Amino acid sequence: MSFVFLSVSFQHYWQEEKYPVTIAVFKTPLSTPFYVAQSINAFENTCVKVKFNNVIGGQVAFAKVIEGDADFGTSSDSVIAFQSFNNQPFVTHAMFVQSDNDVKLITRSEDNINAVLALKGKKIGVTKLTASEYFLSTLLAIDGLSVDDVELIDYKPEQLIDSLINNEVDAIAPWEPFSFQSNQRYKDKISIHDTKNLNTLSFNLVSLPADLKNLEKAKCIIQGLNTAIEFIASNPKAAKEIVINELGLSPAFIEWIWPDYIFKLELNQSLLLNLNSQAAWLAETHLNFNKKQPNMNRYIDSRAMLQINPNAVNIRP
Amino acid sequence: MKLSLSQRILFFTACCCLLFTFLVASIIRSSEVIELTFEQNNYAQNLVNNTTMIKQLIIRDDIYTGNYNTSSWQDSQRKLINTLKLSPILTPQEQTLKNSINSQNASVNRLFKKIKENKLKNASESIKNHLKARLIIQLETIRSDSEQLSSIAQKNIHEVLKQELIFIVTILAICIALLTFGSFNLIRIFNTSMNEIKEAFKSNHSGNFEEIKLSHHSQEFASIAHAFNEMNNKLADTTVSLAVMKKIVEERTHVLEELSNTDPLTKVANRRALFERGHLEFSRILRTQSKLTLILLDCDYFKGFNDKFGHLVGDQLLIHICRICSEEIRDVDFLGRYGGEEFVIILPDCDIAGGIETANRIQQSLSQHCLLIEDNKICMTLSIGVAMFNEKHKDFEQLVNDADQAMYIAKESGRNRIVVYQDTNLH
Repeated sequence: MSFVFLSVSFQHYWQEEKYPVTIAVFKTPLSTPFYVAQSINAFENTCVKVKFNNVIGGQVAFAKVIEGDADFGTSSDSVIAFQSFNNQPFVTHAMFVQSDNDVKLITRSEDNINAVLALKGKKIGVTKLTASEYFLSTLLAIDGLSVDDVELIDYKPEQLIDSLINNEVDAIAPWEPFSFQSNQRYKDKISIHDTKNLNTLSFNLVSLPADLKNLEKAKCIIQGLNTAIEFIASNPKAAKEIVINELGLSPAFIEWIWPDYIFKLELNQSLLLNLNSQAAWLAETHLNFNKKQPNMNRYIDSRAMLQINPNAVNIRP
Repeated sequence: MKLSLSQRILFFTACCCLLFTFLVASIIRSSEVIELTFEQNNYAQNLVNNTTMIKQLIIRDDIYTGNYNTSSWQDSQRKLINTLKLSPILTPQEQTLKNSINSQNASVNRLFKKIKENKLKNASESIKNHLKARLIIQLETIRSDSEQLSSIAQKNIHEVLKQELIFIVTILAICIALLTFGSFNLIRIFNTSMNEIKEAFKSNHSGNFEEIKLSHHSQEFASIAHAFNEMNNKLADTTVSLAVMKKIVEERTHVLEELSNTDPLTKVANRRALFERGHLEFSRILRTQSKLTLILLDCDYFKGFNDKFGHLVGDQLLIHICRICSEEIRDVDFLGRYGGEEFVIILPDCDIAGGIETANRIQQSLSQHCLLIEDNKICMTLSIGVAMFNEKHKDFEQLVNDADQAMYIAKESGRNRIVVYQDTNLH
């Protein structure tokens, strides 16, 4: 009896301190590693006690972090690039997913818009300062157009489809699941253009600049994510089930988007180049943006990743 | 479970073989894993090289010019796609990276084709730079993923080598421990059994036909012990031990000595034994200065009895005299047949008076115990000479001679009397 008491006391004494952590998670299958980690108790053996704050869009998640409503957030590379112009202090710890087809171009079927060039002079609904806007600008650039050749109208992500159906705009650039929902609701009325592979977005774990304590928290979150991503790679079917159950999604939607997603934990030079490129492009295309491109190295913190998976870190300053 | 020595050796060898088989199998398996990881590493390196080549093309050339020759691009792309197709077996994590590379390369290809299709020669520099940057970023992502794939392969090589080293060292340690234990065990059994057999041979040599009792059962030594024990049993049955032989010899010697010292008719000491005892007593009195008296008695008219009743009766008479004498003398006294019908009694520690008294007792007893043969009552008498040792006697024979002279005087004096020897022959 006394042995059990001593054992429990000893265990309690030596048990690692658990930090309560709030993560603003973009409620989308892109955040699958977080939901899987929670489901398979991947954070259980780490130093953090995780609580999710589900939000719509990486921009909102980023705002939650900046405003101190969340310790960590999940944001796209485009959001990071946009926010770098605000001179707000934040860091990116790791990339955990990429997709080459998450943001799509949708037009009305009756307008018979078959090429991007046909968008010249049209009104296009986007969610500004997000991957939606960056995607559209890149898409236009491929056809030699710039955002000045079109009229961009800012909408919340969930308002985009209605703006198209209500003829407020001629095209929209929503991300998932809004494209899928549009297709479900207005299959005959809308046309989803094949833009796969024309733009790749990634989602990343961001936080305010990390002191040692926050670094430890980031390390523990990444540790849980690493376990979850290994689980997803080995058990994709189970991972899909988890996301369906956690987010209350239809299996058809998961089958729709799953082939476009690649879940991998890394912090590579390509991310830095991507952020620099996006920042340069934004400085070029946004008249109100500071033309002096921010130093994106400031927004990368590889210390946590180096402790968990050094092979997946490939950053050259 | 009882195992023979050869079974133990076989079992021990089989165990070692099994462990070594595990070891070899593990080395083969590890070499296969290492070969695979080397393949993965080469695969990743080839991807890095092909991607770098494409990236250099993008950086070096102006892809927007109308006369841009796409053959180099297409060649490089073909190489990259072929390399991607020839992938070795990958783990799920590695497969994810490969999927990423495939996806990124598809993006690179589509973007490049779009750029070429849309003929962006006249597009703004910022658009050109942006799209070129997009291509380079995609290729950098492929390169990063390929490098990560290579890192994983290299890490796997190290881990497999480390695991294999630990496994080999563990198996070797177990083998050495087993070999040592087995060897010591076998040597112990062998030595113990050999010593037990050696001890049994030693005992056997000493005449103790003890069975071999083995401490450790082994079929081989058990068969030796069994054969030895059977042989021992037979030897024990057919061989007389030295101690028994000594006893028998002593008994036989004693019997022979008795036979050689005893008169076969009267069963009293013969003349040889009489003189041997006489010499012994004579030596003793010379040493101790004690007394010694001798009685020499002769059966009166013995020849007459022989002639009248026959020799067999004569023999009976002699036996009767000896019995009477034996009854009348002390335990320490010694009766022997001197010759014919003459007997000598040696009386140690006895003076002349004692001698006379003994002689008297014999005469009286004999007179009272006549012999009855075939209704004939035969009463005998004895002529007795008594002599006691004195300083003039140089040996036992002189003392006998004196007693004999006294007995002769008794004969001459009428028989049935006792004469004590004196220098002047009185009594």
